[in-house]
Amino acid sequence: MRRSKAGGDEDTPRQNGSSGRRRAEHGDGEDAGVDSCPAGMQDEDDENDLGLRREIRSKYRDLINSVQQNREDMLSPSNNKLTEVLEEANKLFKDVRQAREAALDAQLLVVATDLGKEKASQLFYEGSAFDPTAFAEHLLSFMGLNRLEDEEDDHQNEATRDGYLPKDAWHRLAKHTEGCFSTAPSFHYMMGSFHAEPPPPKQRVERQRRVPSKEAKRIMPTQLKKMEESHQEATEKEVERILGFLKSYHQDDPSSPLSYYEFVVDPNSFSRTVENIFHFSFLIRDGLARMYLDDDKLPCVAPVEEGEMEAAGSSTRKQCIISMSPKIWKEIVETFEIRETIIPPPETQNE
Amino acid sequence: MSQRKRLSNTQSSSQNKRQSSSSVTQEEDEDATFTQPSTSQVQRGLEKLTPAQVDQKTAEVVQYFLMKDQKKIPVRRADLVKYVVKDYRTIYPEIIKRAARTFEQVFGLKLVEIDPKHHMYILVNNLETATSRAAPVECPTNPKMGLLFVILSVIFMKGGTVKENLIWNTLKKLRVDPGQKHEEFGDVKKVVTDEFVRQKYLEYLRIPHTEPVEYEFRWGPRADAEVSKARILEFMGKLHEQDPRSWTQQYREAHATQNSS
Repeated sequence: MRRSKAGGDEDTPRQNGSSGRRRAEHGDGEDAGVDSCPAGMQDEDDENDLGLRREIRSKYRDLINSVQQNREDMLSPSNNKLTEVLEEANKLFKDVRQAREAALDAQLLVVATDLGKEKASQLFYEGSAFDPTAFAEHLLSFMGLNRLEDEEDDHQNEATRDGYLPKDAWHRLAKHTEGCFSTAPSFHYMMGSFHAEPPPPKQRVERQRRVPSKEAKRIMPTQLKKMEESHQEATEKEVERILGFLKSYHQDDPSSPLSYYEFVVDPNSFSRTVENIFHFSFLIRDGLARMYLDDDKLPCVAPVEEGEMEAAGSSTRKQCIISMSPKIWKEIVETFEIRETIIPPPETQNE
Repeated sequence: MSQRKRLSNTQSSSQNKRQSSSSVTQEEDEDATFTQPSTSQVQRGLEKLTPAQVDQKTAEVVQYFLMKDQKKIPVRRADLVKYVVKDYRTIYPEIIKRAARTFEQVFGLKLVEIDPKHHMYILVNNLETATSRAAPVECPTNPKMGLLFVILSVIFMKGGTVKENLIWNTLKKLRVDPGQKHEEFGDVKKVVTDEFVRQKYLEYLRIPHTEPVEYEFRWGPRADAEVSKARILEFMGKLHEQDPRSWTQQYREAHATQNSS
């Protein structure tokens, strides 16, 4: 129980150097809080050897860090590093006065204990023990490490950081250790590389974008044309135009009645005549013009004045049908001796 | 335990036949999505199909295995049934038996079920490795196998279980820093803790009751099936210029497992 706990504590800083340091500093902070109580009494003492205290703490931290960083090397049975570290810690402990330093000493002990436990576990092996550091060294030589700066680097204890491996180092190792693996040779495609995975779906996005833009282009112009050529609008305009003519003729000579036939018939065009009759019927329907028979029982037309409109609306409506054929049209033109039209054809049609 | 499971899966009518059935039926018994058909069911299924149909389906299974083996990811039985066997699931034991035979006789490979609980299969070279080295075709070497060799060796030599830090430190000495991008392996940490683990070469397990979290490495089932401990030890001996027998414990283990397999 106790041992496993020690192992757990030790694991924190060993994870990496920086987290270990942070932990140590955190510990300092707590201890500082404790120290603040007797601070008044020990004030002078503290100030005298403030530098010494700092030095001890920094030395402890260095020691802990070096143990954490070089853990695997310290485990190697070929050296006495662990003993050296413990001796160093013993020397430091002589000057330890405050809880802060004692805590650091305890922390170092936790780290050292775990190392000791690991070292002891190596004793269980019968015969030769396996040393990963030596293994790594042998492997480096095997892979053809170029050891130019080996000697200068020796003091670092850490395996030589300098020197470089040839490019095919790992291929070389793989080739020589192939015999250990009875791996099934995986087949590969003869004609170049070919990925077994389906390609990512890409086209869909483009397709969706293209369609709506095309349709919008197609719809726009047709809509505009329809607006201009709308039959409803053209009829309304023509009706209004005819009303304008009727009013102006009536104003020119209000007393004499205007013959219906003379008004609508175009002597040069039968179809224009029919159109005029059609458009004039709207004026009658809307109560803007009226039709009556004169003394000779011939139809006459006149615009309806503003005041008259309501009276006309209340009176009973009458309907009549006018028929017109090219033959009748010619007879009318001859009988009434119509030479020119009262309603000129609309300008747009002349164009 | 497997006996009990098997009994619960089968219908009482087919029980007698099942117990005398071949090892193939025993191999895979428990699966959430797929219940192993009984021998009588297989028999009935085979009667409905032409031999050509069964051969065709077997060929598809063989191809599926070969494709999957390119990445060395084990094949799960559930996937195999879902994507390839499909309607032929009633004769699944027969198909897998035939596929295994094809691998052995045509390809020189062995179909191994590495995980009897989750029904995962891998392919292993069945030919004597020493002779296959002399093959005229030069196979391109995969440098990752070198990396894997180092890790497996350390685990084996250290008695089967190793804290991850020992692995990282050893690799660092070999100029492979798990925190840095390696020109050969890319993201080393991912290769080791993800790729090798998915290929079942390694197991990367959380050590219980550690704060902060710590992991340890072990051999995965594929390594057990594929890698010869005796040969690792042999290589170690050459490397250290030492008799492999001087590592008494490892030597005993390597030769014990070799005899059994």
